[in-house]
Amino acid sequence: MSRLDRTRTSPHQLRPFFSSQNLLNRSDGSAQFDFGGSSVLCSVTGPAEVKLRDEKLDKATLEVVVRPLVGLPGVKDKALERNIRETLEPLVLSGLHPRTLVQIVVQTMKDDGSIASTAFNAAIMALLDAGIPLSSILGSVTCTIDSQTNDILLDPTTEELAQAKSTHVFVFDNKASIHAEDKSSMDHDQASSTQESSSAAVLFSDSTGLFTEGEYLECAHVCFKAAQAVHGFIRTAVEKKLLKEYQQTSA
Amino acid sequence: MASEPTNLAISPAFTFSASTFQKLHPLEYFRKFASQGVRPDGRLLSSFRPTTVHYGVITTADGSAMVRMGGTTVVCGVKAEVAEPRLHAPDQGYLVPNVELSPICSSAFRPGAPSEQAQVVSEQIHRVLQESKVLDLKELCIEEGKAVWSLWVDVVCVSYDGNICDAALTSVMAALSNVRIRKPTYEEGVVKVAGVDLLDDENSFRLNLARTPLSVSFALLDTDLILLADPNSAEESISQGQIVITLDETGQLCAVSKVGAASSSQQLLKQCIERARERSQELRRIMNQEQ
Repeated sequence: MSRLDRTRTSPHQLRPFFSSQNLLNRSDGSAQFDFGGSSVLCSVTGPAEVKLRDEKLDKATLEVVVRPLVGLPGVKDKALERNIRETLEPLVLSGLHPRTLVQIVVQTMKDDGSIASTAFNAAIMALLDAGIPLSSILGSVTCTIDSQTNDILLDPTTEELAQAKSTHVFVFDNKASIHAEDKSSMDHDQASSTQESSSAAVLFSDSTGLFTEGEYLECAHVCFKAAQAVHGFIRTAVEKKLLKEYQQTSA
Repeated sequence: MASEPTNLAISPAFTFSASTFQKLHPLEYFRKFASQGVRPDGRLLSSFRPTTVHYGVITTADGSAMVRMGGTTVVCGVKAEVAEPRLHAPDQGYLVPNVELSPICSSAFRPGAPSEQAQVVSEQIHRVLQESKVLDLKELCIEEGKAVWSLWVDVVCVSYDGNICDAALTSVMAALSNVRIRKPTYEEGVVKVAGVDLLDDENSFRLNLARTPLSVSFALLDTDLILLADPNSAEESISQGQIVITLDETGQLCAVSKVGAASSSQQLLKQCIERARERSQELRRIMNQEQ
């Protein structure tokens, strides 16, 4: 079955990833993350001075600013800001930098669907680039259920989103995926799909539309598997960057 | 007499009242209750606050409702206005929800531009109404390409004590079911809405709601992943995450959101959906009773 964008052959196929870190030289860390035609640029400044009003005595304050592709930020962007902030808060070891500010600015560069997931992935890569201490890495994938075929389509484009029955955004941390890897390597035959999906601990989930509980859990399972690819990609990207830095310093 | 020194040793150097302890260590105060399976306000961890729904509380609005959930009170009014349709959707009306959290309802809110929380709740309601296809916007068309109804759905919080999501969506759905709009006439570019005579089935129409989604919220305490149904504002301020499940009357899911806190297992989400099913049925009973 071919997808609407005609570049993919399977409903569970993701668009090609692309990322690059350290693009902006006036921020402490930055990253761009692409899912095919969707692209988000993210910058991180911090730990920096915090406004007295936002100061927290025992941890760093996280501030997320979302800038849309065109026009002024609206209610949708505010909702995404809050979602990104509350998802990153438990991941950032903010206790290490009390009474400081970590500011994350998310700028959409190209919009072809799955912007929320792209923004999540860009934000975590920018935090890694800025060297902010993290307890784990997140990976995000969006999926939709098609209104005509009832298929689960991963990483939908704008066109596919327009004819979706429901849309689901998931974020998983890599603790669960490491756990699943260990499990599948230990008892390869017994690793049934139910075991895997029960280990899929959800960090963030946002679903709208009309769907059943079964469909929701199925989507969570499919996205969990796809998020492994995102985790792997982020890992290789960071490894490559560190290798390059090491070569430069030792040369 | 021999026991006196030991008594002195275990009695602390100073003591404070329960209310002082609550202010100094809100989380620890709450944990003391939670370990016994109850909450400071006397509820069980899984129980909801008493809820009431009243219809038609604002006579000047085309539809209105007031919802109380414990200490949270919200009023929702729907006002219909004739407007010009958008170019790309000439036969569709507008449905514009807006939630206002002004300083009148709690000292936590400042005057001025709408707070982030108010915007997030507005967006949640907007998305549920739109993506779950609650109302066919084509029904709000008066004359294609010329005039449509624009429904302003305004939710004002009068008293804030947590769980604004559930209260706001319940009041919106109740107010929408209460809407009665005068039948308009369209003649040569002029929309006429008849005079002041009493509204009846002849000269007015009701909205044809395809479904009634209602949301059920839970707060998550991070460290031990305790699930709190229908959190009040004190519980919201110490919780790290929230789960909101929105269901329609057939038990179909309309929205699921889990934000904040560490990873939660699928088991926990399933448990929430299960609890939300029961609660939304109960809410529906309350809504139908009052109607």
